[in-house]
Amino acid sequence: MKTDVLIIGGGPAGLNAAIETASRGIKTIIIEESYALGGQLKQQTQFFNNLPKQFDRQRGIHLMRTLIDRLSPLPITCLLKHKMIGVYKDGRIGIANDTETFPIDAKKVIVTTGAAEETDLFPGWTLPGVMTVGAAQILINRERVLPGKNALIVGLNSFSAEVAKQLKACGINILGVMDKTVSVNDKKLVEGLEDKKIRVMVNTVIERATGAGEVKKVTINNDGKKEDLDIDLICIGKGLAPILEPLEILDCEFGFQAKLGGLVPKYYSTLGTSNPSVYVAGNAAGITCLGGILLTAEIAALNALKALGVLNDNEVKVRSSFLWDELRSMESEESIETFIARVAHIKEFHEECELPLPASFHAILEGC
Amino acid sequence: MDKSTIVCRCEEINVDEIEGAIRLGASTFDDIKRLTRCGMGPCQSKICMNLVRELIATNLGVSISEIPPPRMRMPLKITRLGILAGKTSSSNVVSVFDEASLEAGERQND
Repeated sequence: MKTDVLIIGGGPAGLNAAIETASRGIKTIIIEESYALGGQLKQQTQFFNNLPKQFDRQRGIHLMRTLIDRLSPLPITCLLKHKMIGVYKDGRIGIANDTETFPIDAKKVIVTTGAAEETDLFPGWTLPGVMTVGAAQILINRERVLPGKNALIVGLNSFSAEVAKQLKACGINILGVMDKTVSVNDKKLVEGLEDKKIRVMVNTVIERATGAGEVKKVTINNDGKKEDLDIDLICIGKGLAPILEPLEILDCEFGFQAKLGGLVPKYYSTLGTSNPSVYVAGNAAGITCLGGILLTAEIAALNALKALGVLNDNEVKVRSSFLWDELRSMESEESIETFIARVAHIKEFHEECELPLPASFHAILEGC
Repeated sequence: MDKSTIVCRCEEINVDEIEGAIRLGASTFDDIKRLTRCGMGPCQSKICMNLVRELIATNLGVSISEIPPPRMRMPLKITRLGILAGKTSSSNVVSVFDEASLEAGERQND
């Protein structure tokens, strides 16, 4: 199989990048390992207020429909239940499905593999009934199954708080949302939970979770005070880390940026990596909000189109600087630290390669 | 931390075994993997990767940013052997294994 652009991962970033390339008449293939496009949007029923201008504020599942509707009239090949398993010696990408392995010869690859949830280590974390907040959300919104009756949420952030509210709305008794930090900077987050009568516990860690065959009890240490809780569900919300396997196999270099989720591929202001035919976008390029996921995908797709000679320099320059500006405002609204870390990450790589940052980028830096 | 707490759930490797490997000189995920089978189960270290890196960092008193991730190898996802080697059109993938052994040999010669 031959294509101009190969997109690895059919989540929000992959879909938005595909819309950009395919609407220019560029041959595009998306490979997606699950049974349907949409990625994590498939179970995200929460409202997203902060989205790029071209999208209305809407729920995750509706945004998924919007993206798929925009994509469907375009000439694009979607390979569902296909996964990238490696790279051939000549640079072609090795793809496998349930019946065969075959190569795809792509001029440009955009990696939009997203992120994986992090877990937490405590005695008993491997018992059935302990899962990530994302897993609990899949169970209630996609599979329509109640994961438990009495739940404890470990880790306080906007995603875990959102899932705590959704679980509560499903009739699950939430015994508390706990975090090991001493205080929570985000007052709005705490107030939002307290409004729903959900207890917030800071400076709290799990000593152990116990139960025969499944989790039944948990001992927590709240500021030195031990407390036993009867529970049958622990949801871990410790944040996300980018999925990097395809990038490593594609010979991309990595750097460390704690605020972007730890190890992140190095990339230029074009979202191009150290491998000249590989671009990265979405959560794989550093953990961000949904707006950031969509915008980085657009920037990566534009620059891939420029490299393919489809768009001219000037057009890309104008649109990129507009998109970078929008990305800054979108990421600052969630957490300015994400954008600052992203800019530092890009600057570092440009300096390492002795490649000057584009002039339009300097204006963005001054705005920080 | 309870020493019997499982870290790698696929291979059932606990904190004690990992700290034992660190005492023997392990300083990367791959060292731990070679000594204990940690990360060699069906999930291929997708769940325990950062837990183990954190344990190494804490035990050696360094930042997690200094602990490299495990070397990722092909095939990246669970794949049936028959699918890897079955059809003529896919037989090229055998080179996946050739490349792997070649690389290992090169590194040994370094």
